[in-house]
Amino acid sequence: MDPECSRLLPALCAVLADPRQPVVDDTCLEKLLDWFKTVTEAESSLLMLQENPCLVELLSHVLKLQDVSSRVLSFSLRLAGIFAAQENCFQYLQQGELLPGLFGEAGPLSRAAWTVPTVRSGWIQGLCSLAQHPSALHFLADHGAIDTIFSLQGDSSLFVASAASQLLVHILALSMCSRAKGHSGPVGGDWPACAQKIVGHIEESLHSATTPQVTQALNVLTTTFGRCHSPWTEALWTRLNPLVACLLERDPIPAAHSLVDLLLSVVRAPVFSSSDCGLWETVARTLSCLSPTQAGPLAVGILKLQHCPQELRAQAFGVLLQPLDCVLKAMAQAPGLPGLLDGAAGDSMMEDTLLSSKSACVGLLCRTLAHLEELQPLPQRPSPWPQAPLLGAAVTILRFCDGSAVPASSMGNHLCGTLAGCVRVQRAALDFLGMLSQGTSPQELVTQVFAVLLEYLKSPDSSPTVLKKAFQAMLRWLLSSAKTAGCSDLSRHTVLVLRELFPVLQKRLCSPCWEVRDSALEFLTHLSRNWGGQADFRHALLGSEVPKLAWQLLQDPEGYVRASAVTAVGQLSSRGLHASPTSPEHPEAQQGLLSEFLHILSEDSEGFPRRAVMQVFTEWLRDGHADVAHDTEQFVATVLQVMSQDLDWEVRAQGLELALVFLAQILGQPDPHCPYAVALPKAAPPGLLTEVLQTLCRVRLFEFVFRALFDCDRPVAQKSCDLLLFLRDKTAPCSHPQEAGGSPDSASMEATLQRWRAGEQGQPLGDLEPEAVLAILGSIDLEGLQGMLAKSSDHMERSPQSLLKDMLATVHVLEENEADCY
Amino acid sequence: MPEIRVTPLGAGQDVGRSCILVSIAGKNVMLDCGMHMGFNDDRRFPDFSYITQNGRLTDFLDCVIISHFHLDHCGALPYFSEMVGYDGPIYMTHPTQAICPILLEDYRKIAVDKKGEANFFTSQMIKDCMKKVVAVHLHQTVQVDDELEIKAYYAGHVLGAAMFQIKVGSESVVYTGDYNMTPDRHLGAAWIDKCRPNLLITESTYATTIRDSKRCRERDFLKKVHETVERGGKVLIPVFALGRAQELCILLETFWERMNLKVPIYFSTGLTEKANHYYKLFITWTNQKIRKTFVQRNMFEFKHIKAFDRAFADNPGPMVVFATPGMLHAGQSLQIFRKWAGNEKNMVIMPGYCVQGTVGHKILSGQRKLEMEGRQVLEVKMQVEYMSFSAHADAKGIMQLVGQAEPESVLLVHGEAKKMEFLKQKIEQEFRVNCYMPANGETVTLPTSPSIPVGISLGLLKQEMAQGLLPEAKKPRLLHGTLIMKDSNLRLVSSEQALKELGLAEHQLRFTCRVHLHDTRKEQETAMRVHSHLKSILKDHCVQHLPDGSVTVESILIQAAAHSEDPGTKVLLVSWTYQDEELGSYLTSLLKKGLPQAPS
Repeated sequence: MDPECSRLLPALCAVLADPRQPVVDDTCLEKLLDWFKTVTEAESSLLMLQENPCLVELLSHVLKLQDVSSRVLSFSLRLAGIFAAQENCFQYLQQGELLPGLFGEAGPLSRAAWTVPTVRSGWIQGLCSLAQHPSALHFLADHGAIDTIFSLQGDSSLFVASAASQLLVHILALSMCSRAKGHSGPVGGDWPACAQKIVGHIEESLHSATTPQVTQALNVLTTTFGRCHSPWTEALWTRLNPLVACLLERDPIPAAHSLVDLLLSVVRAPVFSSSDCGLWETVARTLSCLSPTQAGPLAVGILKLQHCPQELRAQAFGVLLQPLDCVLKAMAQAPGLPGLLDGAAGDSMMEDTLLSSKSACVGLLCRTLAHLEELQPLPQRPSPWPQAPLLGAAVTILRFCDGSAVPASSMGNHLCGTLAGCVRVQRAALDFLGMLSQGTSPQELVTQVFAVLLEYLKSPDSSPTVLKKAFQAMLRWLLSSAKTAGCSDLSRHTVLVLRELFPVLQKRLCSPCWEVRDSALEFLTHLSRNWGGQADFRHALLGSEVPKLAWQLLQDPEGYVRASAVTAVGQLSSRGLHASPTSPEHPEAQQGLLSEFLHILSEDSEGFPRRAVMQVFTEWLRDGHADVAHDTEQFVATVLQVMSQDLDWEVRAQGLELALVFLAQILGQPDPHCPYAVALPKAAPPGLLTEVLQTLCRVRLFEFVFRALFDCDRPVAQKSCDLLLFLRDKTAPCSHPQEAGGSPDSASMEATLQRWRAGEQGQPLGDLEPEAVLAILGSIDLEGLQGMLAKSSDHMERSPQSLLKDMLATVHVLEENEADCY
Repeated sequence: MPEIRVTPLGAGQDVGRSCILVSIAGKNVMLDCGMHMGFNDDRRFPDFSYITQNGRLTDFLDCVIISHFHLDHCGALPYFSEMVGYDGPIYMTHPTQAICPILLEDYRKIAVDKKGEANFFTSQMIKDCMKKVVAVHLHQTVQVDDELEIKAYYAGHVLGAAMFQIKVGSESVVYTGDYNMTPDRHLGAAWIDKCRPNLLITESTYATTIRDSKRCRERDFLKKVHETVERGGKVLIPVFALGRAQELCILLETFWERMNLKVPIYFSTGLTEKANHYYKLFITWTNQKIRKTFVQRNMFEFKHIKAFDRAFADNPGPMVVFATPGMLHAGQSLQIFRKWAGNEKNMVIMPGYCVQGTVGHKILSGQRKLEMEGRQVLEVKMQVEYMSFSAHADAKGIMQLVGQAEPESVLLVHGEAKKMEFLKQKIEQEFRVNCYMPANGETVTLPTSPSIPVGISLGLLKQEMAQGLLPEAKKPRLLHGTLIMKDSNLRLVSSEQALKELGLAEHQLRFTCRVHLHDTRKEQETAMRVHSHLKSILKDHCVQHLPDGSVTVESILIQAAAHSEDPGTKVLLVSWTYQDEELGSYLTSLLKKGLPQAPS
């Protein structure tokens, strides 16, 4: 432990032990525990207690006090647990009878403070830290702690109850680990008493007629099989499987959700990959006994497994497909739609759920769609994957939702009524539909997909969230359709879709909702990024008003939209698709865009559009955009000048990114894997270097970069430091600090930098000469600065010393300050 | 049995990250999704694993409601929606929707700027999260789905702050968020109608405090700023981009105007313009005074407050600077503080709470020698002042709101346990309702009476009206009819209509009663005496003596018979239909009293 902390500890312990000194800010106690945990992980707890007797005194004092605050009591319990995690320290605390006092029946358990959840939580967490060695097990058994933990499983606080369950698992695992290795026989005589007691309690709970008790048992088992993968867990399951299976005979099945969690935890456990122990049978039975809504998560969990019986997979997939099968059957007369579960009789339970109430129907469909969406991209998804009927079902659901479906059955009519205008189902179905774009689908269905997506994009009833998802799904389908077409040109069908799409996009770019305008712009950006080179796309786009509207949105009242418009127009311009409101084909228009962006950069009151402009500029510079390539030096100089005083540090950081790209272009690329790597770059030849440095001086890059080096916003300073290190290493052969250091130019520059470092950034650096720059580069301790900047700006305030000082200082401050909020 | 369940994940007996789960008749709503600024790791967010264990978040939760833009109420929202995976609707008022992303962005920038923050959301995530927001107007009933509806009420506190009523069927919960029952310089007082919810969840920050007037604090603030600039000192006011900053700007602007001061006031963040734009845009959310003067002069158009340039901090002479962030833990405010801290003429005014681990916390706890990087020590000679401008209802205000809403039960959140205990007793005594104060993670379950909606047929209502009694809004009336259930709907209709609809034949139900009379005369004479007696009493009814000797009054039939054992006693057999139950009972009791003596 740091000597400074050790010096402060006695005073702090005295404050904590004094009930007249309220500890208001419990985050401090949390942080204090974090620190003790770190310290005890690195050094001996026993030694620490011996060197800092105030800690033990605090614990024993808290025990004696009757009116100690619940926060301090809880803290003390957790602290004692952290110390007692090391066996020798445990023995030390045992000698002083401290541990029985804190965790035994005579301790807080019997006090009024036990009614406070924080204290019960502290007790559990303390024991959880403590239970690390065999002595701890004896301690727990001797002091009746296990029974208390059993009762805490049903605690009124979710946090306490959950922690109690976790602790039971922890003790069970510890108990099993402590016995001789290699024994994995059935639960019985050779199992440690502690483990037997816990297993006995679980069995009893599984027999219980009350659901909460069954839930507790199932939760403990779920955690056990999730965390412990030793052979004994197999014996445990063999013993408990019949009891779990018995739950399925009850009506209704108790704690179905927890039961599913348990079964999934068991089937995922590596111990069971080789043996069965009746597991698959229980899982299969559970799948058939649970309601469609409850069975969904189990089914998807099974289908995600790498190894599992084929029949079970088929059964699980059937569970997921049934609701969509019902949907398809409801539209049965629709031509050409293959069924999902052909031959299987309609499941009445499924139909009942879909018909029972709107919320049940919506819930089931949303869950099913989400499960299938999760499954679709996985390599272990069921094969053959019924892509076409699934697509049909998704389209049908979307049609039910927008009222365009013409159902043939009463079920269809019912679904139509239930789903009409249901945003929840629309969102889920659009997400699923988007995901289905990854598979190969018959052209006829793809046509239907585009039709329904266009309908949604056109519909005045579509909510902004639905439109966003419709745009996302449309993008995925468009991109996938180009991929499947297999040639460089877009398919005829895609071109037709585009023709219909652009008028819709135009409309959405004029939406009164900023969310819609923004989603439309994001869609446009992605599409042009991918298809900017496609002739058909270019033709369709330029034939529409979209580029002009995107330009107009640069003036949008909403900052988010202006930023997206900058990105979109920047992208269009990179692809030569840009159109200014006046004259789309003339080069002056491009110049107009550059000045428009510069105007945004200097005038926009919000950071997002300015940041977007900087990103576009960086991209333009990197890609050699025509306007930039025309006079790169001028471009860089102008941009740096405009943004160097920006109030938003992220704009300045982006400016450094641009500066780096420029540097890389004239000096050679930095390592692509580590753009700021200092050890790798090869030095440039001296002649070229002087020329480069002169260029950098002309564009006033150094003024900006050196100013950034002392920026009050740390990421800017750090980026600048990395850039200068890169430059210094590139210029190493030219640098002769001993010769250049004495020049009056570099002296004045150094003086200015000193002032900047002190926070006075008013004075400009003036005109620089390459020699002076080289001299300064050599004289600044960039490595030292880099090390400092790598830490967080508040690392001093967050240090343990600072924490202890703060806690001591707060003691005398008026309570009002502390209890206040926002 | 239907019930309401409330589980705070945050704000249960603490003032940290508000996040309360409410379940009403199977609908699950999350009230606020705040963050705790005192932590740098996941502990800053509520522990959502308690919700995720119930399956997919979007399936479990029907909606999220955000009461106002303060980060302890909305700071975890992008994390919850974009990183934990909630994809459902988020409701908040229009001003909150506009201002919330500014604060989230501001906080994100500070967190990234500071570095060392783990698991934080990005700018894009904030935007994507805000796209899921559905903005609501005050007093507008918003239908989340067929069963769940919400309604916002004005809460004062900050611009756009709202209390929300959440209703499922006839059960309702009101969540106050943070509120203020006294108007301040730019906002009005909270108000709610007598909505009589099953449960009122109220904040209780100042559960035991009766706060002094905010005017005093404002005067004090102005005096301190004025004194400092008068003696040539500089004043630093660290603020977060929005909220408190605008309030203090109005205060200084008005004061500068009145006193004709020329000392410059600067606002360091580029967000001022945007923030003030919103205050102008949502002028209807401000108080009456601001709205009235709006036509002549918009209070949010500042004449004296200019944008700050970093170079200004070195200018000689007095000035006032508002700089972010508010806790002096990074960026501009910290840089200016470092520059000015050494001069005793200067002053820093902390207008809000600072968490441990910040320079703001250090100087507020009286520390004057601050360790800086590179073993440097910064000696703080400037004056350090703390001024609380937070606008919460005090104990009186909370009681006032409970009185206004008339809830069946009250639940306290967003306060300290000890203070809550005191207020809980007060509420229980004064309003005779149950008051709860669950800790984080504790669930309060309230049973509610089931309420079944019943439709009434127009015919039945007309029938009732025909009886001449006009309905009165405040007086409940009894209505007789037949309750029929058809297609899961309940309707009250007249019995005739019920028979017709159900295709049933009517059965007659007659009540009978025997009355013994001491009368030695013959049965016929007894019947005649009964006839004349009843005729004399029941003047409005048709009393008939039929040829067979029986007497009828409406459907009531009275027959006299001799007693089998006692010839001096006659037995009157009275029978009547269900419709004449009242009259039948009356006649029976009348006859039981005996007949008047016949004149001899």
